[in-house]
Amino acid sequence: MKRLVGLIVIILFILAFSLLLVVAGESIVPGRQVRWLARVYLNTSYNPWSPYFTVNSPESVTSVVWDYRGLDTVFETMVFYLAIIGSIALARGYRKYIPAKLDYSKLGLSIIVKTVTRITAPLIIIVAASIALHGHLTPGGGFQGGATGAVAPLLILIIFSQYYLIRRGVRKESMLIVRSLGLTGIGITAIAVFLAGLAADVHAYVLQNQAKATAPVSAPAYIDNQLISGTLWFFNIFEFFAVLAGFTIVLLLLTIPEKAYQDGGVK
Amino acid sequence: MIIEEVLVWIGMIMVGVGAFADLVAAIGFNRFRNFYLRLHAATIGAIWGAFLPLIGASLLATGCYCLGEYRWFMAGGSLVTAILILILAPAGSHALARATHRAGIVPVEPCIVDHLDEKQCVSGGGSG
Repeated sequence: MKRLVGLIVIILFILAFSLLLVVAGESIVPGRQVRWLARVYLNTSYNPWSPYFTVNSPESVTSVVWDYRGLDTVFETMVFYLAIIGSIALARGYRKYIPAKLDYSKLGLSIIVKTVTRITAPLIIIVAASIALHGHLTPGGGFQGGATGAVAPLLILIIFSQYYLIRRGVRKESMLIVRSLGLTGIGITAIAVFLAGLAADVHAYVLQNQAKATAPVSAPAYIDNQLISGTLWFFNIFEFFAVLAGFTIVLLLLTIPEKAYQDGGVK
Repeated sequence: MIIEEVLVWIGMIMVGVGAFADLVAAIGFNRFRNFYLRLHAATIGAIWGAFLPLIGASLLATGCYCLGEYRWFMAGGSLVTAILILILAPAGSHALARATHRAGIVPVEPCIVDHLDEKQCVSGGGSG
């Protein structure tokens, strides 16, 4: 009976999915008339010959995310951090709990897994940093880099135990500071060009990156002949730190032992 | 010129051996009768079926002039991925096997000797 129900569910799912595909193929697939939009974005993302439209970034996805629709992304970031603030507020009642006598080498998984993690966790952080720092050149960006980097604290939490991280200063309070600095950096980067425009007494916009026809100030596209695409590079760096710290906070909160809530532990 | 030819041939043989090992691992994963034996089949898939063909792909890309300069990117990428798999796959299967043995939910069968816990050892085995 149970197998029959499962079989019927699978068959219904396949039928529904094929129906959806048929209907979607009839109507929802975008037609040729929207292709000019993609062509505009691809043509202007990195185009030194039209300086008032370009973003100076070869990666069109990052250009769209942090330049063409930058305000949208700022609100997206806000939603993500509201979720993290909510989880911190939920865990408000707990106190620091560290067992009195703790032999750190006995905690966690076996020494083989620990050794492998010692090799790979720094590699994960390096790959994440490269994803974030190259976000304006290759696919990736701050959020993707931060989410990749959060795998390293997750591995350490499971394999070395929570106390290993806490003893090395990766605790909720310090991660909150990093996250707040990252968010402040995002905010400052968003209004930096606007403030520069105010100082130079010319027209400028919030979240402006490169100069526009009516707003001649722009963030530097090159530093020391290296392409940084104006504000995009700064957005990616700050977002990387903020996302990495935010995910680490949530992972730390998830692995709090129940005793920290029950008897308070060490204050 | 002959070296490139040899590299391409060795790489193709390694990829072929990898495909065969993947098939063996898949059959073993379905047909073996308990957790430890299936884990053994899975690690065959990870080392012989992923590490070896990646090294082969690296050699293949190195010897293939038609790819131009980009062959070094492909060769390096395959080599790094292969080394990472070589480090990570044994650690993963070790962690799985250790956790299972400590939980004591799977009898070790067929077993000749089990120094960690003699009680879990089921000798003989037979055809299950």
